Amino acid sequence: MKSRTFILLAGIIVTIVNACMYSNDGVYTVDPVPDDPPVVWATTNLDSIDNPVVYDSLEVVYDISIQNGKLYILDVLVGNAPVYESDTTMGSFWIYSYDAEVPGIDTLRMNIYYSSNTNSLADVVGLEAQNIGLKYAIDFTWNIK
Amino acid sequence: MSGLIRYCMVVALAVCIFTGATAQKTGVSVSLGGATFQMDDMKYLMDIILISYPLEGEIISSFPPYFSGSVNILRQIYPHLRVDAGYTYTTTGARANYTDYSGTIYTDMIAVSHRLGASVNYSLIGSDHLNLSLYGRLDANFTNLDITSSINVLSLSSTTHNKYNSISPNGSVGLEFLYTFKESAIGIEGGYLVDLPGKLKNRETGNKLLDPNDRQRVLTSDWTGWRVGIKGIIWIK
Repeated sequence: MKSRTFILLAGIIVTIVNACMYSNDGVYTVDPVPDDPPVVWATTNLDSIDNPVVYDSLEVVYDISIQNGKLYILDVLVGNAPVYESDTTMGSFWIYSYDAEVPGIDTLRMNIYYSSNTNSLADVVGLEAQNIGLKYAIDFTWNIK
Repeated sequence: MSGLIRYCMVVALAVCIFTGATAQKTGVSVSLGGATFQMDDMKYLMDIILISYPLEGEIISSFPPYFSGSVNILRQIYPHLRVDAGYTYTTTGARANYTDYSGTIYTDMIAVSHRLGASVNYSLIGSDHLNLSLYGRLDANFTNLDITSSINVLSLSSTTHNKYNSISPNGSVGLEFLYTFKESAIGIEGGYLVDLPGKLKNRETGNKLLDPNDRQRVLTSDWTGWRVGIKGIIWIK
C-alpha cells in the first residue's frame, strides 16, 4: 500500500515538474512604418541604340541610381540564361555571340533587385526586395556556331 | 565546489542515518509554490541581447516569480525539532521578441535550479493541531540555463541553442505553519533564500559565459529571493 502511495506521489511530482517548466511564447508585434519608397533610375549604353547587334561580343555599360534604398543585386539574362550579376550600381559586362541559344533576336533582361525601405525585419536584414526589369532586343543574327 | 556538494550530501545522509536512532517518526513532505529571483546578470545579458536586435524589440518577461517545488524526507527527532533532507526544483526564465508581418526574432532563456540539501526545523508555537516553526536550510544548487535565439524571416530561419550550468551553495530561512492530522499535516511555508552566485559555464565546451562588455567578468546565476508554498506531510511511521 505504501509503495503504491510512493509511486503515485512520484508520478504526480514528475508530472507537476514537467508541467511547471518555465515557458513564455509572448510576442511583441510591431507594425513597421515605411519610409519613402525607393525611386530607381537605370540607364545603359544600349538605350540609344536600335537593335544592338552582337557580332562577336558587345559591352553593356550600366548606371543604376536608387534614392531611398540600396541595390541588392543586378541579375542579367540573355533569354533565360544568366550571364552576369553584380551588387554595384555602376559597371559593365560583356555579352557574347554564343550567349544566344539560336541565331536571331533574343532578349537581354536586366533585373534590378533593391531594398523595399519598409523598415520591416525582412527589409532591415536585406531579405525583402523589390525589383524592376529592363529589356533589350539584341540581334544575334551573326551568331555562327 | 564539488567538495561543497559532497559535504551537503554527507550532511543529508548523516541526518537521515543518525537521527534514525532517536527518531520518533518519519515522513515525506511535498511543497508546491512560487519564488522570486535576483538573476541580475541574466537580466543584464538579456538587455545586451535585446540591443543587438536589428530592430527595437521588447523584453516580454524577465525572470518573473515562478514555480518552486520540493520533496523531502523528514525525521521528527524531538517534539520541537525536525530535520528534513531532499530535493527542490525551481524554474524561471525570460523572453525577448520582435515580430512584424515579415518575420520574428526571439530569445528565450529557461533557467532550472535543482537543489539537494537538508534543513532543521524548530517548533516555536505548537498545540495538538497547529504548529508554527522556524527553519534553516542549506542546499547545493545546480543551475541549468538554456538560451535559444532564433530569427525567422520570410521562409528563412536560423536558430542557435546554448546550454550553460553552474553550481552554487545557498541557504534559506523561513517560517512554516502546519495544521496536523493523525498521520499527516498540511500548511504553508515561506522564507528567504540567499544564493551565492554560481559562475556559468557552457555545458558542451566548458567555456565560461563572459560579460560581453567586460571579458574579465563571468556571468552568474543568482536564485536569491523569496519563497512561498503550500506544504503537505505524510507520516509513514
